[in-house]
Amino acid sequence: MEEYAREPCPWRIVDDCGGAFTMGAIGGGIFQAIKGFRNSPVGVNHRLRGSLTAVKTRAPQLGGSFAVWGGLFSMIDCSMVRMRGKEDPWNSITSGALTGAILAARNGPVAMVGSAAMGGILLALIEGAGILLTRFASTQFPNGPQFSDDPSQLQPSPFGDYRQYQ
Amino acid sequence: MFCASLVRARQCSEKLQISPGRWLLAPSGRALSGTWPCPRWGHQPPRREPTSRPAVLLQGAKQSLWTQAGGLRAGKSGDSSKHVSVPRDQKEETLLSAAQKVKEAGRDFTYFIVVLVGISVTGGLFYVIFKELFSSSSPSKIYGDALEKCRSHPEVIAVFGEPIKGYGEATRRGRRQLVSHIEYIKDGLKHMRLKFYIEGSEPGKRGTVHVEVKENPDRGRFEVRYIFVDVDTFPRRTIIIEDNR
Repeated sequence: MEEYAREPCPWRIVDDCGGAFTMGAIGGGIFQAIKGFRNSPVGVNHRLRGSLTAVKTRAPQLGGSFAVWGGLFSMIDCSMVRMRGKEDPWNSITSGALTGAILAARNGPVAMVGSAAMGGILLALIEGAGILLTRFASTQFPNGPQFSDDPSQLQPSPFGDYRQYQ
Repeated sequence: MFCASLVRARQCSEKLQISPGRWLLAPSGRALSGTWPCPRWGHQPPRREPTSRPAVLLQGAKQSLWTQAGGLRAGKSGDSSKHVSVPRDQKEETLLSAAQKVKEAGRDFTYFIVVLVGISVTGGLFYVIFKELFSSSSPSKIYGDALEKCRSHPEVIAVFGEPIKGYGEATRRGRRQLVSHIEYIKDGLKHMRLKFYIEGSEPGKRGTVHVEVKENPDRGRFEVRYIFVDVDTFPRRTIIIEDNR
């Protein structure tokens, strides 16, 4: 992968928010188009118009709720990276659970717990898929770039503690 | 109206018998159909027979949308309609021809396969993530331990500055959670090499940490062989944190 000169973190929030909105709008658009088509009165004209209306009313709504989820998730994720000083899968699982809890906060504590569990499980699944994908991608190239069997030459000699400058 | 609710209840009970696969469609249908799909439905003649239409799959989805509403209605209108619907349904079942039975069984089997695949994929993902998070020989655990050692090393603190953070390889989406690692077997013992990056409060300083662990044959756990940090920016040097070779 290319190396980024700058930190991904604060910018990632905007990224995720927009990505989630796009995803929700496109997915919701397809779904609502089919559903509106089917739910309209008989006749192609009616059906097309009904499908268009459904898409216009519902798809931005779904995109918006996706965007709220993505943005809040990313914000919590970034704060956790900042606080823990470490990036690992725990961050995203915890922030998924916290996002679920916060967004269900107005429905009472029971709903919060359920929603938090759902969020955590969902993000755990996504992380698992990510791990699997990386593993699969790395097995495509069995022994990676010049994998040498002996410890690399930057390694100090086993005896003595001479510091090596390069 | 009673007739309508009866028909709905019948469809609902048909639905219950068909298969669990269709229920996958039901929640989304309920969540996204804000209005009742069929308020004027009672005036229509009950002409719908499940197997007489060509578009079976589409109809299944539609049926699930409708019967969801119908089920709720039937629940409101009381138990009597349900009681009426059950024997009629059983009678219909006996009248099914052999071809229809085969068709039903085939559909059931397909849904069963779909559900099974879904469950196994989910289980596999859970297995992977739990192994990654909780097993002591997983890359992320080794990465966490090595990062702790780096943080407490005085020379690393002196070079990079106090709050030291670590991260793995960056993906396209700005996630840097996964460290790159490679596993190999030498002399019958499992080895693993990891590489991750650290940064501190000093601006522009970045280091690459190389870790190698080796399996201990007695306890079956990984033990650190070496940890060292390469400072990537200009005054290049190597900081050795641990060397157990």
